[in-house]
Amino acid sequence: MTQPVSRPSGEWQRLHPLSPLLRGGVVLLAALGYAASQLFDNFLSSFGFGDVLVGVDAPDQPGGGGDPFEQAVAHPLLALVGLALFIGVVALVNWVSWRFSRFRVGGGQVELRQGVLFRQHRQVRLERVQAVELSRPLLARALGLARVVVQSAGGSHSTLTLSFLDLGRAEVLREHLLELAGRTDEVTTATPDAVGLAPGAAGALAPDAGAAWAPHGAPRPVLEVPNGRLFVATILHGSTIALGALVVFGLVGAGVRSVGPLALAGIPALLPVAIGIAWGRFKELLTHGNFHLADAGTGVRVQQGLTDLRTTTIPVHRIQALELVQPLWWRPVGWWRIRVNVAGSGGQGESEGHRETTLLPVGTLADARQVLALLAPGVPGHVWDSAVLGEGGDPAWRGQTAEARWLDPLSWRRQGWSDVATAVLLRSGRFTRRAVAVPHARIQSLTLSQGWLEARLGLATAHVVPAPGPVSPVAAHLDVVEAEVFLAEVSERARWARRRSEPPAVPLARDPSGLVDWTRHPPGSSEPERP
Amino acid sequence: MADPTSVTPARQHAVTLRGGDLPWRPVSPMLTRVRLITLAVVLVPLVIACVAAGLLLSRWVLLGALALLLVGGWVAWLVARQVSAISWVELDEEIVIRKGRMFRSLVSVPYGRLQYVDIQSGPLARALGIASCEIHTASPESGGSLPGLPVAEAEALRSRLAARGEAQRAGL
Repeated sequence: MTQPVSRPSGEWQRLHPLSPLLRGGVVLLAALGYAASQLFDNFLSSFGFGDVLVGVDAPDQPGGGGDPFEQAVAHPLLALVGLALFIGVVALVNWVSWRFSRFRVGGGQVELRQGVLFRQHRQVRLERVQAVELSRPLLARALGLARVVVQSAGGSHSTLTLSFLDLGRAEVLREHLLELAGRTDEVTTATPDAVGLAPGAAGALAPDAGAAWAPHGAPRPVLEVPNGRLFVATILHGSTIALGALVVFGLVGAGVRSVGPLALAGIPALLPVAIGIAWGRFKELLTHGNFHLADAGTGVRVQQGLTDLRTTTIPVHRIQALELVQPLWWRPVGWWRIRVNVAGSGGQGESEGHRETTLLPVGTLADARQVLALLAPGVPGHVWDSAVLGEGGDPAWRGQTAEARWLDPLSWRRQGWSDVATAVLLRSGRFTRRAVAVPHARIQSLTLSQGWLEARLGLATAHVVPAPGPVSPVAAHLDVVEAEVFLAEVSERARWARRRSEPPAVPLARDPSGLVDWTRHPPGSSEPERP
Repeated sequence: MADPTSVTPARQHAVTLRGGDLPWRPVSPMLTRVRLITLAVVLVPLVIACVAAGLLLSRWVLLGALALLLVGGWVAWLVARQVSAISWVELDEEIVIRKGRMFRSLVSVPYGRLQYVDIQSGPLARALGIASCEIHTASPESGGSLPGLPVAEAEALRSRLAARGEAQRAGL
């Protein structure tokens, strides 16, 4: 609430004046710097200082010395004018771009208008807002600016990005948007008791606590991931391990066999691959560095990023599916990762989807339990324990059949599904242990499939399809009858859950993303009518 | 069925991967014709080219034409089987579509999850009076497509689905 400017709704507001320049980013700055230095260089050299400053240029001078006098007169002026013109043009473009981009919050939606020649008017209805994120790239952080990213349901084109605003203003705007989004959200019966209780006591995995979701007070810090651990965990990855094994193999081959030089010659060939892998790992580290997770009442607040610090709040009731996984390489150290599907921030750009959907990049089982208690209060801790650690044989887990042995010789005992009050749980994998939970109320559809081999063995695979994201829940190789039972039971549960959760107050937009692109509006109608 | 708390529906027949006593509805046999014509459009010029090359260059190329014909026959048989394997049923709260013989699949989409329904038909399908009905949910992979419905039926289905979706819609 530092600046009351952004509080009143319905007023068109401007972004920060420097934002077009920043949006151009490092590239523009570099180009600018380069051009300026070139011009300055020319300017100096035309006065005859060029030889002193840049000795290499000296041999060129006699070659072009046909008209040294003319050069000396014309050049400094030209250079100066060019420089001034350049700066002027950049400033003008910046100013025009700034003048033409405005946003406002009001009338149940966020709107952003930008562009001079190609005008764009983007609006996102507040009840479709899935998450509001603050992102601070390095350059913006240096200038005390931040970017507000409003995510709504429906694919990659449904985000509305306000870049850039003052940090204080951005924070106020974010709070305001979340508050508004919560107010117009699906209002439910579960609200009053879901607020005051401890997170573990709330009755549902996804309490539809939309109305109470405005962040009251400061979020309670839950955990942070030490950068050292993240570093080790990032290195412990299938690709790096494969590469390491290959290199060791090569070196051993070089030592033992007489073909040493040949084996060594193979190593440079690996270099591009190694660079690619290192880049991927490095990006992972950049994304998830400084990871902090806090409990923000009915959602979790995630802060992460080594250079581009991002703050995202994900409401618990927007979580569509949840996965707890332990890659084989993390098993000796006992680390786990938690990822979720959140409508609106899944699937598309690899790193984008990755960043916003990882709620625990690496953590011990105790860490994971803490996070899970926040995210899925309806699933008791012991169920999670049996989901991730169970080796089969417990009666709560159904679906294991001996026929599946032929297709999953290692993990058929563990594979199966279980049902708790609010969610369906699926577990799989003996070495890479994985447990997935999908709230009944978030199931989009159910699928059975049966390949040729499965048909011979009397098996079928069931998929629970949630909104898109990194988690794809599957119960592989169930007995056919069991798969049909699964379909019947889970659909019935989903039916009940759907009836409990009331439909949104406003009808769905024609466009499933809830977005209207007014690009093709006539440029004359600059002021849209107030709704 | 081991779980005593299970809510197995007793009020309706079970959805099964094959067979079953639900009123499964087939799609129009015109779909077979559309797909066979499409196949012929691809295959016939190839066969003709092969035969021409066989007569002009070397008799061995005729074997290629024979192989193409055999493959075409097999694919035609496959198409007929595939089309006859498509069936669908509208339940109280879901629409269920089954497909495939060798690779079976079944998708059950609740009306409450429908985002929108598309009706498409190419020129050939339009000439034969059929259309395909695509069902979209919030997840791109979870929708179902129902090819080969008579146009009137597809339109009726679309409006039925829209009405039911409106009535049973659930929040994301």
